[in-house]
Amino acid sequence: MNDLTHAQPDLSICDREPIHIPGSIQPHGVLLVLDPVDLLVLQASSNTEERLGMTHQQAVGQPLSQLLGSEHTTQLWNQLQRAPLRARPALLGSITLRANHQEQTFHAVAHQTDGGLILELELAQPEQRVDIHPLVDAFTLQSEAAQTLAELAKRTALEVRRLTGFDRVLIYQFDEDWNGNVIGEDGSGRLPQLLNHRFPASDIPAQARELYRQNRVRIIPDASYRPVPVHPTNNPVTSKPLDMTFSILRSVSPVHVEYMRNMQTASSMSVSILRDGRLWGLIACHHQHPLSISFPVRAVCDLYARAFSLRLSALEHASDFERRLSTRSAFARLLERMTESGNFAKAMTDHAESVLSFTESEGAAIVTAEGCTLLGHTPTQTQVLKLTDWLYHEIKQDVYSSDSLSSVFPPAADYVDSGSGVLAIAISKLHPSYILWFRPEVIQTIKWGGNPNKPIEALNDQVRIHPRRSFETWKEIVRNRSHPWTIAEVEGAAELRNTIVGNVLRKAEELAALNDELTRSNKELEAFSYSVSHDLRAPLRHIVGYAEMLREEAADKLTPKEARCIATIIESSEYAGRLVDKLLNFSRLGRAELQCARVNMNSLIEESRINVVRDAEDRTIEWRIADLPAVHADLMMLRMAVQDLLSNAVKYTRERDRAVIQINYQDRGSEFVFSIEDNGVGFDMEYADKLFGVFQRLHRWEDYEGTGIGLANVRRVIERHGGKTWAFGEEDVGATFYFSLPKPIKIQ
Amino acid sequence: MLKPILLVEDNPKDLELTLHALEKSNLANEVVTVRDGKEALNYLFREGNYQNRTQGNPAVVLLDLKLPKVDGIQVLEKVKADPALQSIPVVMLTTSREEKDLLRSYQLGVNAYVVKPVAFKEFIDAIQDLGIFWAVLNEPPPGSLKSGKRN
Repeated sequence: MNDLTHAQPDLSICDREPIHIPGSIQPHGVLLVLDPVDLLVLQASSNTEERLGMTHQQAVGQPLSQLLGSEHTTQLWNQLQRAPLRARPALLGSITLRANHQEQTFHAVAHQTDGGLILELELAQPEQRVDIHPLVDAFTLQSEAAQTLAELAKRTALEVRRLTGFDRVLIYQFDEDWNGNVIGEDGSGRLPQLLNHRFPASDIPAQARELYRQNRVRIIPDASYRPVPVHPTNNPVTSKPLDMTFSILRSVSPVHVEYMRNMQTASSMSVSILRDGRLWGLIACHHQHPLSISFPVRAVCDLYARAFSLRLSALEHASDFERRLSTRSAFARLLERMTESGNFAKAMTDHAESVLSFTESEGAAIVTAEGCTLLGHTPTQTQVLKLTDWLYHEIKQDVYSSDSLSSVFPPAADYVDSGSGVLAIAISKLHPSYILWFRPEVIQTIKWGGNPNKPIEALNDQVRIHPRRSFETWKEIVRNRSHPWTIAEVEGAAELRNTIVGNVLRKAEELAALNDELTRSNKELEAFSYSVSHDLRAPLRHIVGYAEMLREEAADKLTPKEARCIATIIESSEYAGRLVDKLLNFSRLGRAELQCARVNMNSLIEESRINVVRDAEDRTIEWRIADLPAVHADLMMLRMAVQDLLSNAVKYTRERDRAVIQINYQDRGSEFVFSIEDNGVGFDMEYADKLFGVFQRLHRWEDYEGTGIGLANVRRVIERHGGKTWAFGEEDVGATFYFSLPKPIKIQ
Repeated sequence: MLKPILLVEDNPKDLELTLHALEKSNLANEVVTVRDGKEALNYLFREGNYQNRTQGNPAVVLLDLKLPKVDGIQVLEKVKADPALQSIPVVMLTTSREEKDLLRSYQLGVNAYVVKPVAFKEFIDAIQDLGIFWAVLNEPPPGSLKSGKRN
């Protein structure tokens, strides 16, 4: 076995051989070029004497009737007038002529060229009198029943062989590189089997393929024939060699004859299978011995080829439809999950199976600005990122697929076992965001019909080609390729891409809408704050005011209980007023813009301390305040926070004969941590997390007054500065409150 | 003769409470009360039903911020823009703590700004201080803004 991944047989010389103007014909008939108006013979093959009893020298310049007699000439003329398409050979009928003392029957076939009317008289085989109708009927039934291409190919081969009697009939399909694959075969056993063998593109060179596309049926009844030249060599009308593209007797390339001999076939016929005007394949027939197939039977073979093509289309549409259907349902599942979660990357990660089954891949990767997620069997993250980088900078396609990545992207050679094939969709134009599916290498063994490298011989500085002599199975291993991506998969991926991109856009729009909503509700909150401030404060003030007036006016008449009632009304309303004020303050803290500057903590603490001790002038408080560093903060806000903390410390130590309040700090590199420690009533650590919440109180109302907003304010202020707040406490021992303030980043 | 105190207040309860407070401060000044911004301007500019009042500016204007017809801010604006009136001390009385109002009042040259306290004692104190300060001194010293501002 040989490993020939990149070997390309170089037989370009074959491509230049002018096979449509060989200047000669095969000997199983006569070729005459006629003036289309008066039917004078312009050119004639040099076998006219043998077939028609008149030398070609004599024939040229004579009217056709001199060669065939006036009766046949008139008959052919009349038929010719009825022929629908004169550019293609049309059967005008069969004529029987007597020459050289023997009768010969010919099929007369004519077509029009630039150089005149080409009339070919092909010898008819008397034994070829088959009733073709039942055969055609059988073929039609067989091909209609075929459900797969292989089945269709096999049945077609069988029917063609039944119709023609060739030893071997092959259905030969071209790949995108014009290599031929034998996908169907039927044979007598006299010639070697070639099913599933591959033939290099050079076996049928480009100009031959073009000729096959135009002239759909070619036959060589006997490869050992001696070519019969056409005289004169140049056509008198065009002054060029006669264009024999459509000639049924055209002599074939000597290389081809040699090829046939090497293939041990004496006779061959090939019928083109076209799809959408393109050469799709051939029905290739071979026979060990010479074999003639009459024009009418060849016409039926052509019909078979066309029927094959039609059935093929139907099958492909059906199988394509099925593939699409399965891709579609996997796609729908994936989509459903994506819509449910709203985050495509997360949905895909959570439903890896759907992602993989969507394209029948073994691995997938999701690369976004946030990172790279791998699913299943994939190259490494680094390799994937290199690949997406290449896709983003070099390929620049929304959808990209390759079943042989390493041939276009050499680094992929390192991971052929996971990523020989890749299908990728770009999610963003702004950065390399991709979804990729990977397929592993599938090592394929290809059976070539002989070594595809034709030996080339150089003779007297002239390069002459010999077709290979051996058609023995020659195996090649194809590496670095994955199973190809189907059109349905690529289209599905493209559709998925549209959906994701659409989703991303929708998300952005939703975000914008949310932002609007937020701005609006912020405005509403402001309006609400105002309304609370204004509308709630006024009635509270009135309650207090009128209650006070009542107390003044009726002071003499009030019983102690009545006086206490009025006092409570006043007290409660005043408390409600303070609550409203604090709440407003709290909400303002969240909204107000920070106006940061250098704040001297020593003076801030001192100022706050003086404020808070004003209400505790009768108490003994020992202050132990460290020399504190300056910070970067909003003075107004920080003052409020510090004052709240100090006032708490004073408040909760009031049961102590000797209160001790210590203020300290710690330099933690990127931040300062300040602490306010007291020896007060403390708190149960179990409730530590409740301390900083709004309206959270840990002490009984009558023991410690307060709104329950103070520490929430502190936390809000500190958090807005990028710091943290926390506390430690022990019941009846004391509490320590901490807050951190990040140091400003110094710009060097 | 003492100049009167002009009290501009639309809310009858606030009006009663304010008058009570002024009463308790034993000021000799007459207190003129008007109930909206338009009436305040009429008084100050001697227009409308005040066109025949005796000449002379009030000792101080206690001006509620939110008023029907013409807003307190607008009254302040007109007073401070008029050469004959701009020297009258104006004290804004308001329920609101909204910075926007505060800022705007300062920009317009208000002499003092009082957020009416909920606690009655504080309220009485604030009004009495204002009255005594502005009415008795009778002439606003330059740079007196700070000492007139409370709370």
